[in-house]
Amino acid sequence: MRKKPEYRDLFPGALELMILKSLSWRSMHGYALAQRLKEISEDYLRIEEGSLYPALQRMLKVGWLETEMGLSARNRPVRVFKVTEVGKKHLEQEIASVEKMFAGITRVLALAGE
Amino acid sequence: MSWLRQLFSHRSRYQELSEPIREHLDEKIADLMDRGMTREQAERVARREFGNVAVIEERSREVWLWPRWDSLLGDAKLALRQVSRSPGFVLVACLTLALGIGANTAIFSVVNALLLNNLPYVQPQRIGTLYARTTGSHPSDERRTIDGEQWELLRDNVPSVLSAVSAIHPAGVVLQTASHAQYLHSGRISARYFDVLGIQPALGQNFTAEDDLPNGPRVAILSYSLWRTAFGKDQHVLGQVVLLKGEPYTVVGVLPEHATTPLDADIYTDLQPSRDGEGQTTNFLATVLLRNGFTWQEANSQIERALYQSHQTLEFARSNPDEKRTYYWMPLQQAQTQTLRPQVLALMLASGLVLLIACANLAGLALVRMLRRTGEIATRMALGASRWRIQRQLWIENLLVALIGGSAGIGLGFIALRSLLKMLPEHFLPVQHVPLDGRVLAFTLLLSLLTSILFGMLPAFATNKVDLRSSIGNRSVIGTGRARLRQGLIAGEVALTVLLLAAAGLLIHTLVHLETMSPGFNPNGVITAQASLDNVRYQDPRALQTLFRESLTAMQNIPGVESAAVGLTLPYERALLDGVTLSDGKQAGDQVTTNEVFVTADYFKTLQIPLLAGRVFTNSDGPSTQHVVVINETFARKFFHEANAVGRQLENNNKNAMVVGVVADTVLSSATHLVTDAAPLTDQETIYVPYVQVDDAKLLSMVHTWIQPSWIVRSAHPGDDLTAQMQRALASVDPGLPFSGFYSMSDLQAKTLAMQRIEVALLSTMAGLALLLSAIGIFALVAHMVAERSREIGIRLALGSTVREAMIYAAKSGVIAAAAGLILGLFVCAGVLRVLQSFLYGVQVYDSATFLSVVLTIAAVSALASTIPAFRVARIDPNKALREE
Repeated sequence: MRKKPEYRDLFPGALELMILKSLSWRSMHGYALAQRLKEISEDYLRIEEGSLYPALQRMLKVGWLETEMGLSARNRPVRVFKVTEVGKKHLEQEIASVEKMFAGITRVLALAGE
Repeated sequence: MSWLRQLFSHRSRYQELSEPIREHLDEKIADLMDRGMTREQAERVARREFGNVAVIEERSREVWLWPRWDSLLGDAKLALRQVSRSPGFVLVACLTLALGIGANTAIFSVVNALLLNNLPYVQPQRIGTLYARTTGSHPSDERRTIDGEQWELLRDNVPSVLSAVSAIHPAGVVLQTASHAQYLHSGRISARYFDVLGIQPALGQNFTAEDDLPNGPRVAILSYSLWRTAFGKDQHVLGQVVLLKGEPYTVVGVLPEHATTPLDADIYTDLQPSRDGEGQTTNFLATVLLRNGFTWQEANSQIERALYQSHQTLEFARSNPDEKRTYYWMPLQQAQTQTLRPQVLALMLASGLVLLIACANLAGLALVRMLRRTGEIATRMALGASRWRIQRQLWIENLLVALIGGSAGIGLGFIALRSLLKMLPEHFLPVQHVPLDGRVLAFTLLLSLLTSILFGMLPAFATNKVDLRSSIGNRSVIGTGRARLRQGLIAGEVALTVLLLAAAGLLIHTLVHLETMSPGFNPNGVITAQASLDNVRYQDPRALQTLFRESLTAMQNIPGVESAAVGLTLPYERALLDGVTLSDGKQAGDQVTTNEVFVTADYFKTLQIPLLAGRVFTNSDGPSTQHVVVINETFARKFFHEANAVGRQLENNNKNAMVVGVVADTVLSSATHLVTDAAPLTDQETIYVPYVQVDDAKLLSMVHTWIQPSWIVRSAHPGDDLTAQMQRALASVDPGLPFSGFYSMSDLQAKTLAMQRIEVALLSTMAGLALLLSAIGIFALVAHMVAERSREIGIRLALGSTVREAMIYAAKSGVIAAAAGLILGLFVCAGVLRVLQSFLYGVQVYDSATFLSVVLTIAAVSALASTIPAFRVARIDPNKALREE
């Protein structure tokens, strides 16, 4: 069986995009985010849990995310990642450009087949 | 959980990074345990699914580009381990660096003291000195001396500066106290001199404008050390009268303890600058302080207006109507160090080149070391270490080596500096101290950092090319590209070495030329001693004659003494420059400038200067007989054009004199800075005048203010005993006239050639270091090549190659690199060696003998350095090589 692609085989920024999208739906702590990403990408993608953290740090640094204290499902105090206004704006732009890109790719594929 | 706790314990500073990871793992472990796993199982699974915590953490932190202190510390520890694993490399690297950095530290200390440190005055940046440049003349043909008329214009018409004048050099004078006579250096200065420098006397006051007036009061200010040694720190010294030069001077002040001046004298007396006497010709040195609220530009335009507008009336302009002169201020520091600046900067450049060569060597060594570690590095990269991380690791290792080398370099530099300063004659540098201060240490630290970059750059960049698969699979892959790189490095080193060797060779050639130049007299067995005749008692020519006659008779009576004489200037020293008018020959009527030496009758006999024509002076040449002069060969050739000079007439000091003899040229220090590109020793036109016929008291006293005459004794037994006897002989005639010092002729020659000797010693040291480093580089290249290719060479041997052929094959890489470097170096020399021109005398810049010896030296050294490691070829066992294959 073919191995599932890893996130680093995706286009650059894909992981960030997925994280932003997930967190914009609901602020989460790291483990919950990992679970969520695993759930939704189970069929397509293998994400090493640990890989999330460098990406999270990167996003904290550029200001797309911020952390606040919250509670986990087990009522433990945890750091919760939350999308900032800048992050929201970036997500919108990224979604737009990704859609454009895929539209482009789809068209090329469609035409190339004829 | 111990591994978790251990992981997260002591990292409070970066808690915000580790915490979410810990929370993640905690949650996950709890989840897994909910599903029925034991804690151990859960931990194991959580860890596996999470990935390498350390690597992830590190990557997370790299995001912030803020390497943790403890990760750097970890790297440093690793570096220390790595470095200690190859002690040979470390030893060679540190020694190489220590030599390069030590040389630079020592030379930079001198640069720092001379060119960078401020002069020890209150407002060093605002103190300047006057310079004049004549249009169309050589840029170095600048004068900084002015005459009395210019001084008055400067004082009265340039409001932007506070100005003072002084004599050019401190003068030797005799201080007489009740108990003894003491020889001192007197700095003759105008009022305001200490105001300009910002020095307030510790006792009493500075000179006032009244002290400056001709025939004003004669006053003196003592240096602190003289006040201590000669006056026992007497608080009541002010107002005391001391006998200086036989004249009474009133002490008006004492300088503070650490006060220094450009003159650096023991006692300061008033110069009484005027247009007459000394002020008639350019014998004053102007020192000025820029007043607050003015800029040097404003001051320059004021001086230009004041001096240039009056220029037409000045003495200089009258005699040289076609020349235009511009005047400007030069900061005092720059002025004081101007003559040394090119030498010092050239040395700084040379030591920089040595360091560059050292770096090239180390880069080569580090490259080899890196290649040996390719496997290790590839493994680390495969385990997830980033290239940046590995490069950082290599940097830290190099930095560590550089810092060890740098610290050793400071030690070496300190030793080198001490021995350098010991080598310098007294008063050679215009500064009192050459400290290893903060700036020098900072420089060395910077140098260490820089070298670590220079020699660490190549290997660190080479990690970019590490191919994981081939490196791990097959460790004996040799990059021919890298061998080329090393060869290139060595060629560069050799090229720089050629340059340094050629420069040193040319300077050595110059020194040999100057030292072996025939001095024109016989220096063996001659002892000389100087005494100051700047003394009111000897302004009377008859008193002077009596002193000479009696003291010379007393000296001739010393057992072993063959003859004794007095001369105003000695060979190797600077002579009095004077104008004489030729009354005879093709140039009759022309005034010419010549060296003029006043002598007593036995001067030529004592120094054994050969007589070429006519006669020398005799005792029958007296004050009332026909005035006579003896000229040297150059004078005769230059102004009498080979024609028989004896019997010709000239006018000297307003007297007609006849040339009675021609003597051989003797070497003199080049007389003035006006003579550009002049050797330190030259044969210049010189006339000798019998002291006994100089009856102009004013002329004598003026000349003796500037130049001290020397007593010269030729003895069969020169030695310490002789100097004591000379001292007694002079004291028997005049106890108040101490000698200032005794010198043999070789002392004087050494003093004159001090600069050349130092240049040669330092540059030769640099060139020697360069040669040594290049040899090491070539040796290492060939040795490494033999070691790496022993299998290949073994196969060659097995296939029938002789050992000799295999050795030639092995040595080839070194020889080719050296040959390429040699050719490159010769090209570099052709391009840049011309800057040495002004340091060379009697040698051409492209001196074939020098270049031939450089080429031969390099060829011999590189052949040796390539051949010795190639001998290892003989130890290669061809059978073993075949088996391995």
